[in-house]
Amino acid sequence: MSKPSFVYVTYIRSSADKVWAALTSPEYTAKTWFGIHHETDWKAGAPWRLVLPDGRVTDSGEIVEIDKPRRLVLKWRNEFKAELKAEGWSRCTIEIEPVTGDAVKLTVTHRLEGEGTKFIGAVSGGWPHILSNVKSLLETGELVLKEKVS
Amino acid sequence: MSKPTFVYVTYIASTPEKVFKALTDTDATAKYWFGNAVTSDWKVGSPVTFYREGALIVSGKVLEHDAPRRLSYTFLSHHEPHNGAERPSRVVLELEQQRDQVKLTVTHDDFDQDSKVFVSISNGWPLVLSSLKSYLETNRVLYAPWYEDKAKQEA
Repeated sequence: MSKPSFVYVTYIRSSADKVWAALTSPEYTAKTWFGIHHETDWKAGAPWRLVLPDGRVTDSGEIVEIDKPRRLVLKWRNEFKAELKAEGWSRCTIEIEPVTGDAVKLTVTHRLEGEGTKFIGAVSGGWPHILSNVKSLLETGELVLKEKVS
Repeated sequence: MSKPTFVYVTYIASTPEKVFKALTDTDATAKYWFGNAVTSDWKVGSPVTFYREGALIVSGKVLEHDAPRRLSYTFLSHHEPHNGAERPSRVVLELEQQRDQVKLTVTHDDFDQDSKVFVSISNGWPLVLSSLKSYLETNRVLYAPWYEDKAKQEA
């Protein structure tokens, strides 16, 4: 039986460097990720956290692999909701590949290491919002969703 | 063991009417769907066809049509290497207006457990829906690598 997982692929007319920046740099994630920013020094083995503008930590873990601007693997646990935290560690892999033409293929794979459905359910709702925003911001300069809609 | 189901959600800065038209219009689909042009009168029970360069790629029939909220049709792939060998699967397109955006959910299911078409459509939908989003937001489409290679050969 495979582990609970979520996979999302999107194609973006942009460069790998810009897609990497849109997913990691605070000036972009403040827009695309509903105000959140990463707190890490972006080295393998380094602690990693997602932090809201008011300082609350939503998720934490560590950088497992980093190969800018191609591949980022995060060990990831939710810290915000008890029922999500209870499902334990997940692993998130972000891959950026140039495809022919002027677009890149962005693949986000998020897999729970244990059992449960709530955490994968939550990220399955969140990633399409964030990645739709990244694509719109890079292609049009505008966000598709300026604030989170449930 | 559950049967294979493909689900994809994308958010598009557009209106449900424009997204629905893009999903059902022959000329629009030819542009963003890499040359695959859909034709149907979209009445329940009517045929749906996708042709590319004169070749039948997909055929089906309309199951539900509730513009601009919901559209469903059966999906029989005639494309290589499937050649119509599997039984038809089902596509459901749901559009929901959220402020000035549209949440588009594509659910493609009713496959047999070992379906090869399922593998193909799981690769195909993200590219088609990325291209649709670009088409509606920027009026430019994306290129599938195989489609671009062919276009270069013909140029």
